[in-house]
Amino acid sequence: MTAIDAYHLPGLREGDVARWNIREYGGGEVRLRVPVLEPPVLEAVVERLRVARANYLEARPVGDVVRAIDLAARRLADRGDPRRELAERALPAVTGYSPPMVRLVLDRMAADWTEPALASLLRSEFGDPAVLDTFRPRPGGNGRDRVRAFGPALAFHVFAGNVPGVAVTSLVRSLLVKAATLGKTASGDPLLPALFARTLAEVDPELGECIAVTYWPGGSAELEEIALRAAETVVVYGGEEAVAGVRARTPAGTRLVVHGPRISLVALARESLAADRAPRVAEEVALAAAIFDQQGCVSPHLVYAERGGDVPPEDFAGLLAKAMEGVERELPRGRISAAEAAAIQQLRGAAEWRALGGQDVRLLASEGTEYTVLYEADPAFAASCLNRVVRVKPIDSLDAIVQELAPYAAFLQTVGVDAPMARRLDLAERLGRVGVSRVTTLERMPWPPPDWHHDGQEPLRELVRWVDLEG
Amino acid sequence: MLDLEGRALAAELVDLFGRGVDAPLSDDAFDDLARRVFVYQFEHNAPYAAYCRRRGLLPDVVDHWSRIPAVPTAAFKEVALVCGDPREVDAVFRTSGTTLGRERRGEHYIPDLSLYHTSLLPNFVAHLFPDGAEMPILSLIPSAREMVDSSLAHMVSVVMDRLGGAGSGTFATVALGLDLDGLARALRRFEAERTPVCLLGTSFSFVHLIDGLRERGESFRLAAGSRLMDTGGFKGRSREVPEEELRAAYEELLGIPPDYAVNEYGMTEMCSQFYDNVLRDRVRHGAVAPRHKVGPPWVRTVVVSPETLEPLPPGEVGILRHYDLANLGSVIGIQTEDLGRAVEGGFVVLGRATGAPPRGCSIAMDLLLQAVEGRGR
Repeated sequence: MTAIDAYHLPGLREGDVARWNIREYGGGEVRLRVPVLEPPVLEAVVERLRVARANYLEARPVGDVVRAIDLAARRLADRGDPRRELAERALPAVTGYSPPMVRLVLDRMAADWTEPALASLLRSEFGDPAVLDTFRPRPGGNGRDRVRAFGPALAFHVFAGNVPGVAVTSLVRSLLVKAATLGKTASGDPLLPALFARTLAEVDPELGECIAVTYWPGGSAELEEIALRAAETVVVYGGEEAVAGVRARTPAGTRLVVHGPRISLVALARESLAADRAPRVAEEVALAAAIFDQQGCVSPHLVYAERGGDVPPEDFAGLLAKAMEGVERELPRGRISAAEAAAIQQLRGAAEWRALGGQDVRLLASEGTEYTVLYEADPAFAASCLNRVVRVKPIDSLDAIVQELAPYAAFLQTVGVDAPMARRLDLAERLGRVGVSRVTTLERMPWPPPDWHHDGQEPLRELVRWVDLEG
Repeated sequence: MLDLEGRALAAELVDLFGRGVDAPLSDDAFDDLARRVFVYQFEHNAPYAAYCRRRGLLPDVVDHWSRIPAVPTAAFKEVALVCGDPREVDAVFRTSGTTLGRERRGEHYIPDLSLYHTSLLPNFVAHLFPDGAEMPILSLIPSAREMVDSSLAHMVSVVMDRLGGAGSGTFATVALGLDLDGLARALRRFEAERTPVCLLGTSFSFVHLIDGLRERGESFRLAAGSRLMDTGGFKGRSREVPEEELRAAYEELLGIPPDYAVNEYGMTEMCSQFYDNVLRDRVRHGAVAPRHKVGPPWVRTVVVSPETLEPLPPGEVGILRHYDLANLGSVIGIQTEDLGRAVEGGFVVLGRATGAPPRGCSIAMDLLLQAVEGRGR
């Protein structure tokens, strides 16, 4: 099979490329090709991006940018489109997710890049999105003062991980604030960001000149130096070590936006564990844990189930296992590595022995490693080893989970809460205090809206600098 | 202490181990002993028997040693896996624990240390002193007197006691860590005398040594025949150094060539150990097969599928499971947390099962614990 081009580098001619980096995925099932960039070539790409931004993007109305992105998104959402077909065919091997999962995730993520979604993101961030185009009256001001928001001349994005769409969302945010945008993809998914950029270039060649996406191996210090020096804003995804590496090499005056790994969980009120409600709750939890095979920052590791409902927490674990078995049929888990499977076996083995040692631990699992539900009476928070391993823990009162979460404050993200409204509000207050940045319903848990405060940050405002015009 | 039946079986095993690692032990002979050990454990180790019963793997069903139930190392954190009374044992070795995880430390009860010692010594000699050399042994690990529950400290103390030549010494304490000054002085002296030495330490203690020598701008050309044994991972105890880099540093700073750097692979839950083939191959054959781990004939290793836990065809990557006759007093079959692959004559270790970094933007439990602990420091 010929290699798929997993890059978008405007102005790069095949003749400029002395060597290609071919990466094989799924045991050679899919081969991706990226050019091995020499530093001067990357310098030229960066320079060209800047010029293109000045020519095509800086003065372009934001509404226009939105419409171009919308066109590209609609192509990726269209199951008959050749580029969408390519994504569906290649992404299972590249990312490890099963084909139905890839389809579902592409559908959901592409919807976030369409005009209505982007318009609501812009309104939520700026109120009046025209501040990106011109000076506008300052909200709540004296009527004479005006404000204007400028995006960075060049934003450099360093991606990590294989969750499809996360990188594209980051690129989209960057274009919305009219930044020339350079994305370094992760080995976990170098493809979708490149496909997005290429699609964008097809529907809007001028905008396509303002974005470049490619992969180079981690530790290519010389290339990274070039990008880090050139960028006005750096957006970095990844673990502490990777982030620390980028932080150390980013010039002091450059703005750095960091998205580190996060953990999420579910909290169920006793009211949710009513006999007629619990099975549906279990299905929603199962789906939330299954999407992205639990690799997403929004994926729940653990369920706190409040005692006192019709269905006791240990029985809820049984319902959850049954629901996970159902999800496996429709949305099978993807391919995992030997080490990941071994981690699941290890967790199961340890659980069995804790039970033999007299602790109240119950293991409900598939025969293979497809899913694992682990009921543990000990309420201490414990993360999952991922790939559809969910812990269920009883708790006397949902209020008590806050103290269990405190040691993990720096890593908390989403809590999917199923509880009566008044209790949700109270719990959200407590969770927010301890460090949680998103409290949501079980159904919405895997799909944060485009205008969410991603990790407590402002997706577009954190990219811009403001100019005040006082009059 | 083992009961009469256990002592008789132990005597038979001690006799076997005493014949050394070169005495052949056919699969049939191993199978016979392994299944007798299993039956003994089934009858004397109640939690293990319960585990076997849950699987329907009773002694009359298990028709080959490879089907004897193996216990995950995590089990040693939960129950006393011992034949007989856990209060009447020669030693209890404990795994190192984490500070935040409320996890307990694993405990390996050893009713009869003579099995441990008779397994340890011939195997150690075969892989560290295949040339029959005798030399000072310098340890970078605090003594067993200080670390009574460390199987590694115990092992090193026994080795130094029985095999260490004049001038042997321990150059680390729990309180002060590596005694770089003392060790450097000793090395300088042996270097000047052209006396070969044998260094023993954990990989991270060697990293401290190497970093310390670099800082001081010191290096040694130790006498030909000098050698070292490093062992264990890093687990956040020092910077992580790839093993090739470490071996290059041994050669550069100590004058010990890679074939004289033997990595030991052992675990608290096992009485026997594995070693790199390199020095033994070099001495016996002049040529060295690609580096891999070798155990004594009374230990057999199976690589099982991480998906099904069934044995894998040779060459495939899976979970390492060891069957160790020297574990008579506890459990014969140990399922490790290590991934590996069988090769001709042994196996290679490819890392920890829990070491896989998450592929997405979430974080798996072991890395999360490390990260949270890292922030706490």
